[in-house]
This record gives sequence, C-alpha cells and structure tokens, in this order.
Amino acid sequence: MSAGNLTPSRKRSKWNDEGDDAAEDFQSHPRSKRRVKARLVPRPSPSPSIAIAHPTRPSHCVYVPPRTQHPSILPSRSVYCYERLNQIEEGSYGVVFRARDKQTGDIVALKKLKLDEEKNGFPITALREVNALMACHHENVVRVREVVVGDTLTQVFVVMDFIEHDLKSLLTLMPAPFLQSEIKTLMLQLLSAVDHCHSNWILHRDLKTSNLLMNNRGTIKVADFGLARRYGDPVGVGGMTQLVVTLWYRAPEILLGAMSYSTAVDLWSVGCIFAELLLKEPLFQAKSEMELLSMIFKLLGPPTHNSWPEYFSLPLAKTINLPSPQPPQFRQKFQYLTSAGLDLLMSLLFYDPERRITASEALDHPYFKESPLPKHPDLFGSFPSAAAGEKKQKLFNSPSAPVRAADNKFSM
Amino acid sequence: MSRSLYPLASLSQIRQTPSRADGIPASLESAILANACKLIHTAGILLHQKQVAVATAQILFHRFWFVSSLKSFSVADIAFGALYLGSKLEECPLRVRDLVNVYHVLLQRAKGKVGTEIGIMSYFGNTFYELKDALVVAEMQILKRLGFNTHVVLPYGSLVSYLRLLGQDRPNVVAKAWGYLNDALQSPVYALYQVPTIVSAAILLTSRFLAIRLPDAWWKLFDAEWEDVWSVCGYIMRLYHPEIDKKVVERMLTKGDVRTWLEENPRAVDVAQEENAIHN
Ligand SMILES: Nc1ncnc2c1ncn2[C@@H]1O[C@H](COP(=O)(O)OP(=O)(O)OP(=O)(O)O)[C@@H](O)[C@H]1O
Ligand SMILES: [Mg+2]
Repeated sequence: MSAGNLTPSRKRSKWNDEGDDAAEDFQSHPRSKRRVKARLVPRPSPSPSIAIAHPTRPSHCVYVPPRTQHPSILPSRSVYCYERLNQIEEGSYGVVFRARDKQTGDIVALKKLKLDEEKNGFPITALREVNALMACHHENVVRVREVVVGDTLTQVFVVMDFIEHDLKSLLTLMPAPFLQSEIKTLMLQLLSAVDHCHSNWILHRDLKTSNLLMNNRGTIKVADFGLARRYGDPVGVGGMTQLVVTLWYRAPEILLGAMSYSTAVDLWSVGCIFAELLLKEPLFQAKSEMELLSMIFKLLGPPTHNSWPEYFSLPLAKTINLPSPQPPQFRQKFQYLTSAGLDLLMSLLFYDPERRITASEALDHPYFKESPLPKHPDLFGSFPSAAAGEKKQKLFNSPSAPVRAADNKFSM
Repeated sequence: MSRSLYPLASLSQIRQTPSRADGIPASLESAILANACKLIHTAGILLHQKQVAVATAQILFHRFWFVSSLKSFSVADIAFGALYLGSKLEECPLRVRDLVNVYHVLLQRAKGKVGTEIGIMSYFGNTFYELKDALVVAEMQILKRLGFNTHVVLPYGSLVSYLRLLGQDRPNVVAKAWGYLNDALQSPVYALYQVPTIVSAAILLTSRFLAIRLPDAWWKLFDAEWEDVWSVCGYIMRLYHPEIDKKVVERMLTKGDVRTWLEENPRAVDVAQEENAIHN
C-alpha cells in the first residue's frame, strides 16, 4: 500500500494548509533532479533544514535536549594516539595499561579487550561492557573517553581516566582503617553510582573492592563492567547465568540457582563492601559456594519462611541442610557500629531480594545523617599509588571473577 | 544527571557524505541504502529475528554511511554485519551459520536466480567461510567506524505514548504510524533527526492518511520543530517514489558493482560533482 494517496483532512486548519502545499511539493515534482537534491541535502546555513540552533527556542523537556547536544558519528581513533607507559594489571578479561595521550598529555588507563579466539565475531560480553560504561556517565563511575583500535581487527582498547588506586589494595596497604566519616562518604558515592546504573537499566554484577577505583581526592569510581548487562532484556534459554559476581560478593539467590535476579544482587555486594570497609578485610572469605552459604547462614541466621519465603522453592535449596535456627550475629561481629549503621548493613545483607533495600532507599538511610557526618572528599589523605608505577605486591588473593568462556557457553 | 545521547550526523557529515565525495550521486546513494535495508528486513523475517534487532541494525547501517563510502565498503556485507551486530545488541544473537545461509540465498536471489537455481552451500566449501569472514569483518568495521558507540533509541515506545497523549491510540492509527516508522528505517532519518521528530512525522502522515484532526501545533508538545517534521515526511514519502530504477540498484551489492557503475556512467559522476559544488 502506498502512502502516496494521502487523503487530505476534511477540516482544514492553518497548519494544514501550509502542510498541503508542501505535500504537493514533494509529491508532484519528484523527477526534477535539482529540486529533489536540494531537499535531500539539507542546506548549509543561513537556513539549514535541520533546526540545530534555536537560541530563542523555549526550554526543552529534559528528555529532549537540543540536537546540538547529541554527539556526531565519530570513527575510532588509533591506539597510537597514546604513548604506552606501564602495565597496571592483567585482569581475567583484559590487560590494563597506563598511557599518555600524545596530544593533551593526559594520563589515561587503556584496557585491552581480549578478543583473540572469538569464533562468533565481536563478543557480546565485550559489547555489554563497552555499552554499559558509555551509558552510565556518572561522577562515581569511571569515565570512558573513547574506544581506540590497533592495527589488527583484534586490537580494541577502552580508554578511561586513570585512577590512582583500587580500594582493595588501599585497604590492605593502609595502616589504619577508614574512619566512620570516611566510610559514609565512600558508601554514599558507591550507592549513588549503583543507583545511577540501576536507573539506566544496567546491572553491574561484579561489585567488589578491587573493581572500585579511588583517586587522591577521596572520590570512588566504579569500574569493570565486564559482567554488566541490561535488565529487562530477554534473558535467553536457561535463564540468566549464575556465573556472575566474584564468589565472596555473590548474593544468596544466585548461589541457590535462582533463574532470574535483578538489581538486588548488586546491593548484596554493596553490603559485603560496606562490611569490608568496616573490618578492613573481606567479610566472607569462602573457598567454595557451600562454605560461603554456611558463612552467610551463620552471620544472618538460617533463612526462614518469614525472612525469605521463596527460599524453599529455589532450585538448590533442596540440596542444602539448613542448620538449626539461630539469631543473627551482626552485633557480635560489628561491635563498634551504631545501631543505624547496623540497620543499614542488615538491610543490604537481607535474604529476600524483593525486600532487600534499594540503592535509592539506602541513600536516604539515617546512618548517613547521624554523627559523625560524611567527611568532605577533599579532606581525605592521599596515598602512594601502586598502579602508577611501584611493583604491586600480591595481596590476599581474592578469587577472580567467573570465567568468561563459561559465561558465553551457558547463557547470555 | 546526564542521560547518554545517541549519535546523530553532524551538519558537515550531512552536507557531503563520503560516497558523494567519491562521486556517487545522492539519489543513487539513497537508493542503494534503501535497497540494502530491505535486504536486512527480509533476512530478519527469514531468520524469525525480532523487530527491535532489525530496526537497530538498520539504524547502525545508516550511521555507517555518514563516515564511509560505498566505493570502499561493500554495502551488502555491511548490511548483514549490521544485522549480526544489532542482534547481539538486542540480546537475541544469531548463529553465524544461519545468517550466512540467508545471506547466501539473498545474494543469489539478487543475481536473478530463483528456486532450485540457488545452489545449496556446503559448510566446508569456500563460500561459507568467505561469507562468514565477510560478516565478522563487516561487524568489526561497523564498530570501528562508529567509534563503538552503538547506542540506539527506538521510536516505538514514544509513538504509543504520544498517540495516547493525543487521544489517538486506536489500533488502526497505531498500526499505520508504526508502519511509517518502519518504512522510515530505509531512509537515513534515524541518523539525522531526534526520535520525537521522527515519531511526529509518522503521526503527521498518519493523520493525513486517516483524516484525523489533531490540535493546533501538537508537535510542539513533543519538542519537535515543524521544518524538521516536514523534512522527515519528505524522506519517507520519497521512499514510495524512487527516482532510480529498482533493477539497477538491486544488483549493486558490492563496492565492485558500485565502481563498475560509476565507470559506465561518467555523466552521473559529473552530476554528483555539480551537486557537491552547489552545496559547498
Ligand atoms: N581507569 C583505571 N585507572 C587505573 N587503574 C585501573 C583502571 N581500570 C582498571 N584498572 C586496574 O586494572 C585492574 C583490572 O581492571 P578491570 O577490573 O577493569 O579488568 P578485568 O579484566 O575485568 O579484571 P578482573 O577480572 O580482575 O576484575 C583493576 O583492578 C585496577 O587495578
Ligand atoms: Mg576487575
């Protein structure tokens, strides 16, 4: 059916008149080359046919910013725009280098994506990582500057701001733990980054201290979106993969084989990170999933019909012998935490994902409003940066993120 | 809080695309791209692929030609590479083998072969590996040429809410406007204009077609400018009145085909140069 036979509206208003004239224009002389061309190609100023600059234009709805704010279509630059300095670390998915932008002199971090043995073109996981980073612009998310390419098709590098520390090394190297006021600042930053990701439909799925970077100005930047994905997307056959989140930070619903999970998994990880900031060591240093579950049961008390109704219908629940009921051990473990602090921790480490606190609720928690108040980031001391040069000592070995190959195989 | 914005062609990219700079007339370029978008669409149907993946592919495909020339990249490879990529982005990845099969059949069909003339491809033969390679390379080329920014916003959600706001969300109205939005995917508008403008254009055309009265200046509700809406309508309407013979473009699937055509049609190149002169 051709839309060419437009029926003119019966009632004609002013805009209708002017509209119909123009309709005539593009329908009845389509063969006059010059004219078609003239309309095909929007003219340069003074009257560009795309309304780009309207200084007098009334203020826009926030969802429709002026066209000029959209980026243009920019091809990737070459990695040779950067001078390589030192290798920071080889993660499970890629190598990270420190480098200098040859034009501006800026120091940046270059993460080389591992693409070598890919049989299915560009890996979907790498696409998710790049897209999630680009979608989550936020003060507390590491800033991606661009993606550059090398000589061969398998050389792709994500260029990020260089951030001096990661929180895991920092916690190990610091002589004394963070102060309560500092922990509050860090937690507020982390929660606002997580809240931002979630409101952009992104699950991080690998929050842990080694993926939290921190600069010398007391600001946390969430990094490593290597396992991120959008929620609300089709989950693929077999549900979402259980191979997410490094073991120690993995939520109980994932451990028990839930077929789908959501933003709450990230908040469990945030709870583990909160505890780690307080204790100056990881909360659940388990060697296996079973050991992790029993550590969780010990701290929280085993789940009950009350605390987690769905527990008993989860795939792996049947295979587990619950210990006899016992009260939670939070108070014993965190003796110096105020009751508001304890309440926040318990709301993050809450069994039932449906009732686990959300990032935006946590931001409003009374813990952050009681004395001592969050410390201004500028007042944080600075630390020597391991990533910027000195040989990095191997610290306590936290297990690494689940292997990507498996992620590819089982689920998307 | 900044929402991340999808890329749009800049004014200078619009003024002269790389293909036009290479002497390809604008009308030929748009005809070739529209034809390739139809191929993406057909492949999507044959593969039972979701509409969102097909639409995403078509939008990325159009962006690509604002930074690359038809003389340097084969249009059909890029079209299928875009479908491969769009399917991953929408979390419904295709098996390479299935995509290669469909690509093979559609290529043969474009060469005028029908039914049993289309040979069955051997999985171990060269054709399979060549096509597969072409797909994987094309996917990577698209990513590189787009700077790995594959953020796409599809118009369908806005369409439904705009029509609801206008009190016009009857099924026949939605279906008609939806059809215009899909047809528009064959034109470059999604690389040129913001989604609200394109949706407004689809609503405008629908209101004309179904003789629906809308309030005065309704498009302003959606932050669209009249000239832009009108220009998008022009792009869509021109799809129904192609200037160039369908048979000519249906066979122009590779950069080689395009080069040959240019050699055989030196006068067209002159016209293109004249066009460029006018606009620069
Ligand atoms: N922008 C950056 N600035 C400074 N250092 C960084 C930056 N990004 C990453 N790093 C360092 O590189 C390490 C690995 O980076 P990232 O976590 O992104 O990679 P990965 O391969 O996913 O690693 P893993 O699997 O070990 O978590 C980080 O823990 C950090 O020490
Ligand atoms: Mg990491």
